[in-house]
Amino acid sequence: MSEVPPTRMNQQVFKGKKKAAESGHKLLKKKADALKVKFLDYAKSIAETKSGMAADSSSAFFSLTQAEYAAGNFKQKVSEGSMTARVRVGAGIDNVAGVKLPVFTYYETGAATDNASLGLVGGGKKIQLVRQKYSALLMNLIKLASLQTSFVTLDEAMKITNRRVNALENVTIPKIQGVLTYIERELDELEREDFTRLKLVQSKKKEEIEENQRQHDAEAAEMSAKGLKSSCANESDIMARFDASDDADVVF
Amino acid sequence: MATMATPAPKSTPGNMANFNILHGFAEALVRGMRSSFLADADYHHLTQCETLDDVRLNLSETDYGDALADMNTLIPTGLQKAAVEKLVTEFQYLRTQAIEPLSTFLDFITYEYMIENVMLLLKGTLSGRDINELIAQCHPLGMFKESTMRSIPTFESSPRGYQDLYQTVLVDTPVGPYFSLFLRETAGRSEVSNVLEEVEIEIIKSSLIKYWIEDFAQFVDSLGGETAIIMGDLLKVRADTNAINITLNSFGTPLNEPAMRASDRKRLYPALGHLYPAGTSMLADVSDEDELGRVLELFPQYSSIWNVHASGGSDGKSIDDAFYERDVQMLELAFEGQMHFGAFYAYVKLKEQEIRNLVWVSECILQQQKEEIHKFVPVFSFNAPWRAGAKKQGR
Repeated sequence: MSEVPPTRMNQQVFKGKKKAAESGHKLLKKKADALKVKFLDYAKSIAETKSGMAADSSSAFFSLTQAEYAAGNFKQKVSEGSMTARVRVGAGIDNVAGVKLPVFTYYETGAATDNASLGLVGGGKKIQLVRQKYSALLMNLIKLASLQTSFVTLDEAMKITNRRVNALENVTIPKIQGVLTYIERELDELEREDFTRLKLVQSKKKEEIEENQRQHDAEAAEMSAKGLKSSCANESDIMARFDASDDADVVF
Repeated sequence: MATMATPAPKSTPGNMANFNILHGFAEALVRGMRSSFLADADYHHLTQCETLDDVRLNLSETDYGDALADMNTLIPTGLQKAAVEKLVTEFQYLRTQAIEPLSTFLDFITYEYMIENVMLLLKGTLSGRDINELIAQCHPLGMFKESTMRSIPTFESSPRGYQDLYQTVLVDTPVGPYFSLFLRETAGRSEVSNVLEEVEIEIIKSSLIKYWIEDFAQFVDSLGGETAIIMGDLLKVRADTNAINITLNSFGTPLNEPAMRASDRKRLYPALGHLYPAGTSMLADVSDEDELGRVLELFPQYSSIWNVHASGGSDGKSIDDAFYERDVQMLELAFEGQMHFGAFYAYVKLKEQEIRNLVWVSECILQQQKEEIHKFVPVFSFNAPWRAGAKKQGR
């Protein structure tokens, strides 16, 4: 701060800076709050989805066990068969307070179900149940993935915003404030210096005047001591000073 | 019934007087294996387990001890693999001790798994999978001859390659005739690749299984005697089960469309069984569960099973569980009869149920679904609903 020349102009500049920093701080604080609200929202729905997930996935896996009990080992048949995706994941972007969040959406391609006749000679119903359960699980999984990714992105964005807010609050604004007080102090100092200088000059001048006065007085006293004489002389002289011969004759 | 592939047996298993001359030893072996089934107490201990390590510990005292000995950590799929391998070893031992016609009968049992394997290999190569990977996934009971197995990986995995694979190798396997029968019936679609691309794998499999059941039934019938009666009944029930399941599971699929019902779905019903022909022709017109229920009401042996399904699964049972329960009951009866081949089939199927139970129990423990753990059908259980022990306990 010391390199800033403490001038009026700089003071104006830094006052402007401070104002800008303060309004920026206010805005960022608002953004951080908005992000925080959203963040908590996401955290809540992640918790909800996850808690349901554990039960869902264990029941899905168990339904697979049940189906394998009823229909034998059909996993390899599924993996050998030609498969077309029935469900796809779409990616989109959600915007929260200027932060772009990735959103995954579940959509069905409308393709016919493969292996619909799996377990034809036994266990077909169980296999259908497995299909249902895993479809539901997949849907939840995609939802969770979307939430989780948003959550992480949001977390990152929130951290950055908070860092900015804190930086403004604790570093930038105090710095500007420091410069301002410094300038103010220096300016005051200058003013005081001027003042003292002026005072000094004034007192010097006064002294001088007084000295002059004194001198004058002394002179005057001296004068008056010779005083009467001189004044008389003067008075008597008064006419002497004017030499009548000097004057031209007044001709009327 | 279409022309069948298997030639008539040269001899018959014989009757009470002479069965043991040829097949006494093999039968004695399979009876000896009766003791390898897990008992009620074993199941009780298994269901009490908290971790899979406990399961392993409990199984180490049973017949599965050796099979699991060199397994570091027990996982359900590993358990299943080991148990199936054990069954295959036992089965192959039986097979080496068997002489005609029992050996053909035992081969027939493996055809079912071969069909699965052929389908897997063809479909897999069609979608460009590595054939060695596919062979590793095949059911070990349905493996082809060593020479066939060796020649399969030499074909390139392209549509052309697997057509060669079918024409030169698979058609010569025991299940090849079922395949050509299917291709012939799907007239106009003579190219293997086209059929495989157009027809769903499950439908091809169901068709092949249907031919297999019919062929097996014919073979069993020609054997005559006790075998024809007991095994014939098992196969009839199997055929009916398939017909009912196909109908039930077709709801909601293209197979249930009116045009497909008569042409495609009806063709999947085996041409034998208690439902055939009156029942299956009625089933062909069924379009939803209510109609199916009305048809099955006419057949007392199936209406009770249907009621399990119709009542929305009382005490958590599904129609599959009901079928399994009925299967186990029948197979146990078949196993306990003497002087017939049905015992061998029953042994394999009951072991299969036991493996299913083991996988179920271990999966339940792994996934911590303790309340579901009892939903399996124990084999040779004294507490089975059809046994006296249960009645005494007032179950």
